[in-house]
Amino acid sequence: MNPLWMKQVGAVLRLEIRKSFLSRRGWWIYLLAALPFLIFAGHAIQSQFDGERAVRWKTAGTTADKLRKVHTGMKVSELKELLPNPFQSQQWDTRRGEQEFFVYSDGEHIVSIRAVDGEVERITRRGSTCDPQEDSTIFAGVFQFLYLRLFIFFGCLFVFMNLFRGEMLDKTLHFYFLAPLRREVLVVGKFLAGLVATAAVFCLSTFGQLVFLYMHWAPAQRAEYTSMFTDTAAYVGVTALACLGYGAVFLAAGMLVRNPLIPGAVILLWESINGILPSTLRHMSIIYYLKSLCPVDVPMSQNTPPPLALLASNVDPAGPVVAIGGMLLVATAVIAYSMVRVRKMEINYGTD
Amino acid sequence: MSEVNQETVQFHNVSKFYGEVLGVNRVSLTVPPGITSLVGPNGSGKTTLMNLMTGLIQPTEGRISILGLSATDPEHFFTKVGYCTQFDSCPKGFTGYQFVYSFLRLFGWDHRKSEAAAWSAIERVGLTEAAKRQVAGYSKGMRQRIRLAQSISHDPQVLVLDEPLNGLDPLVRAETIALFKSQAAEGRHVIISSHVLHEVDLISDQVILMTGGYVVAEGQIKGVRSEISDHPMQILIRCKKPSELAARMFDQDGVVEAKVHSDGGGLLIKTTTPDRFYLMLNQIALNNVGIETVAPVDDDVNSVYEYLINEGDVR
Repeated sequence: MNPLWMKQVGAVLRLEIRKSFLSRRGWWIYLLAALPFLIFAGHAIQSQFDGERAVRWKTAGTTADKLRKVHTGMKVSELKELLPNPFQSQQWDTRRGEQEFFVYSDGEHIVSIRAVDGEVERITRRGSTCDPQEDSTIFAGVFQFLYLRLFIFFGCLFVFMNLFRGEMLDKTLHFYFLAPLRREVLVVGKFLAGLVATAAVFCLSTFGQLVFLYMHWAPAQRAEYTSMFTDTAAYVGVTALACLGYGAVFLAAGMLVRNPLIPGAVILLWESINGILPSTLRHMSIIYYLKSLCPVDVPMSQNTPPPLALLASNVDPAGPVVAIGGMLLVATAVIAYSMVRVRKMEINYGTD
Repeated sequence: MSEVNQETVQFHNVSKFYGEVLGVNRVSLTVPPGITSLVGPNGSGKTTLMNLMTGLIQPTEGRISILGLSATDPEHFFTKVGYCTQFDSCPKGFTGYQFVYSFLRLFGWDHRKSEAAAWSAIERVGLTEAAKRQVAGYSKGMRQRIRLAQSISHDPQVLVLDEPLNGLDPLVRAETIALFKSQAAEGRHVIISSHVLHEVDLISDQVILMTGGYVVAEGQIKGVRSEISDHPMQILIRCKKPSELAARMFDQDGVVEAKVHSDGGGLLIKTTTPDRFYLMLNQIALNNVGIETVAPVDDDVNSVYEYLINEGDVR
């Protein structure tokens, strides 16, 4: 790359990163990134708290085996015979009948049991030890349905669409257009600034979510779950690629239309129906490559609601090399298109 | 096709349409070094012509070259051209210094060179003390001056200035005009737009008069001025005692009409000798009539163009 262009990209980056990170209008992006992080952090803290309580509430004769034998429909008399020493028990009458509530602990799990008219109706199990397999599947679901498709999507929409459109609204784009700076260099500088800002915020959040997810597992479970580090690298990488892909698309969209809602809705729909598109069209979406790179699949069953099944389906996933290469190719093509567009861009604040 | 001149600003049959709305139409001009004023009423196409010149908008037809360069080659073009726009906005949170400094860093200049050039330009527009304050807190005149500093900071050969005297107080206005003159004296192009002919005719080497997107007159200022010398200019003086001021005005040569403004807070004067009138006004201002502002009235400028167009012999 021409050394002058590199210096100019650096100058644009310095200006734009400050704007991207400190934008008053962009505070909600931090909220988007923080929300899943807070969910997993909350879960970890709750598990830790439950673990400590489970130790304190353990009573004689209560074991994990016995707790596993408790099931709904069981008679209260059978329950009391199996587990005679609850940590806590309550009884009261309601219009539905006589209600009873029992709390047991085997030192690791807390089991709350609710019975109506002498029959177990509901069982709630909580404890310090989680099932890593279950946890990683839950994380995959949250990551694919919520984080990738909504949080990163809308975060990138705001940041990248405003790179040019926002300057047009603020009437400041001429600041760049009157400098001896090729407009293509400006596109690269602005895109990199948006990428650094979004990738930093969202990758940090992904990393933090996984740290909290793994943190509350027992040391033995962490040792057993061998793909902890590769999963972390894959999720952080997918997050960065999502920012790259969606960033490129929204950068171009910001040059084409004034209202961000229209491209936002169209691209969200396109990404959502990706699973039912013909193979060629499927390759023209960002989510296809991202889903292919996710290390854990979201399991589908016959009970899965059709909209979720549509979002999760990943027929014919691409291999890592094809997925990363395809993603970079799509992003490069879209950025190249933006470079062509920016050459024809006019400063017309009056009508914008 | 005419030859591209390496020393002039050239417009070759340039038109710009916004859909069906005319911006400028079939403009062909050659602007030599010196101070050139683009004068016309609001909406006459001055800003469009300047934006075309600097590539902020592209012509529907025709070709523009500045010193043989085109705005489609910004790397070379904008090292030679500086444009002080009318857009009264600056990237958020910038101080005056950051505004100029950051612009210079876009040239690929290092910190020291950019810093030195930024301070030099800021000093030339007299904003050194306010340079570390945020531009958002500047007055209109200060914002005008910081934009001017930005446009001259890289020492351009061609300086394009859209209404650069707007909002400046008399002292700063005089300093700014002196700056333009010094730039022109160094053989540079200084192209200034204004909707007030009297404001620029004293400093311009040549003038281009525009109306409705057309160039209606161009040439040496003396020639154009003689065309309008018989036409009275209307000036609004805002003051506390307009009746008292009116009485004094009737005694003055060249004042053909004086009437109290409909809101009672000023006096409308028509004069055929605006230069002498302004000198005389300084004396009257000392006589406790509470003069607040003095400004040419736009409608009168419009009437000057109507006069020129109706005369039909200046094109």
